[in-house]
Amino acid sequence: MRSRRALGLVLGAAALALLGVVLLAPSSSSTAGRNNLPGPPTPALTVGMPSALDGERHVSLWTTVRRPVTARASASSEAEVLARLGRSTPEGTANPLQVLGRTRDASGGVWVRVRLAVLPNGTTGWVPRAAISGYRAVRTRLVVSLRRKRATLLRDGRPVLRAPVGIGLPQWPTPRGRFYVRNKLVRYRSAFYGPLAFGTSARSPVLTDWPGGGFVGIHGTNQPQLIPGRVSHGCIRMRNHDIRRLGRLMPVGTPITIS
Amino acid sequence: MDDLSMHRLDVDGALAEAAEPLGGVSRAGFLGASLGTSLALLGLGAAQAEARQGASDLDILNYALTLEYLQAAFYTEAERMGALKGRTERAAQTVGAVERAHVAAFQDLLGKQAIRRPSFDFQGVTEKPQAFLKTAVAFEDLAVAAYKGQATNIKAESALAAAVAIHSVEARHAAWMRYLFGANPARTAFDQPASKQEVTQIVRSTNFVTGNPSTKRKRAPRFTG
Repeated sequence: MRSRRALGLVLGAAALALLGVVLLAPSSSSTAGRNNLPGPPTPALTVGMPSALDGERHVSLWTTVRRPVTARASASSEAEVLARLGRSTPEGTANPLQVLGRTRDASGGVWVRVRLAVLPNGTTGWVPRAAISGYRAVRTRLVVSLRRKRATLLRDGRPVLRAPVGIGLPQWPTPRGRFYVRNKLVRYRSAFYGPLAFGTSARSPVLTDWPGGGFVGIHGTNQPQLIPGRVSHGCIRMRNHDIRRLGRLMPVGTPITIS
Repeated sequence: MDDLSMHRLDVDGALAEAAEPLGGVSRAGFLGASLGTSLALLGLGAAQAEARQGASDLDILNYALTLEYLQAAFYTEAERMGALKGRTERAAQTVGAVERAHVAAFQDLLGKQAIRRPSFDFQGVTEKPQAFLKTAVAFEDLAVAAYKGQATNIKAESALAAAVAIHSVEARHAAWMRYLFGANPARTAFDQPASKQEVTQIVRSTNFVTGNPSTKRKRAPRFTG
């Protein structure tokens, strides 16, 4: 009697186990639909590998004057005054400054070293960070050789434009040094200046009473036959098709080296 | 220490300073003239746009690109300024490279329909380590909330897959920047999304997005000739 009951329990357990196996076993016809989730969709975009900043040695920063400020000889509100900077250039554009460096003063305030569009040419000074706007980057540089009477525009260190230029007569020399492009004037009616003119931070050391302050420009001409040559009051003249190309390639803020 | 939302950002007083009148033009007027236009061009400015029914995936992708522009410009400027040192500098370099990769990917995807890169003025926060970290935390938290906020609005499966893939990366950035700042990287058990309108309002309040300076004029030169 006891052995028959034990046999019944064993058979019952076996039957339950078999039923469980049948119910839980994957069915070849329903596997994908019932038990597996679909794979992920393909993303609409592919993000490349992150890469470090590239070619930074060719990057120059510039900014504009956000509020009228005094440029000083060092990073201190007590330092010698070099220039008072307004928000506009004589041409009515925003007043750009080439950024050369930065430091913090004893109280933690940030000061920025900038190139100034004042005489003597090459003057640099310090302004409080709060007085200037955001930084902008350019990857271009204009090199002007007075001896060769030739301008070369570099982008990322590589020449992208070469053109002959007219430069200042001996009595009104084009100043040598490091400068930057301040603005771009277009659609004016002056055959003398050609179709387009760039304002620069360079100033004539002799024509100081010239209207507008004696700033040296880079512009076109109505006398292309004089280029290359010593023909101007200090400005850099280019043939009109060259200045148009430069107008497309050279952004405001571009550093200029005249040697 | 943990309350780092953009709402409470003061970037070391720079924002208060920027709120001062600018040469006779009030900050509000300035914003109306330039930032407002700029944001509108970005698709960020108009509250009406937020209310528009059924924003397209294109709108959402451009919105994401705008946030990526903002972050990429922020880290790139920080790296260029050279004011960060040690772990913070390395984090900024790594995250900056990722954000630039995000920008490039969105630009590739959107092609000519990609919005243009706006101008930014970070008002010196990239030049002070603590201000940088505080802003980085706020940016990353905002980006995480913004991506989350659009997840249910995206229609194309592939676009959603891309957004989710980037969202988790932004979350890692947020945790990293929180850790460096000394804030709890995992304070909450449930993250809230942010709507486009909320994000727009916060970004606008920072005044980090600016108009381009006027450097071109229709005017006869008076150069030395």
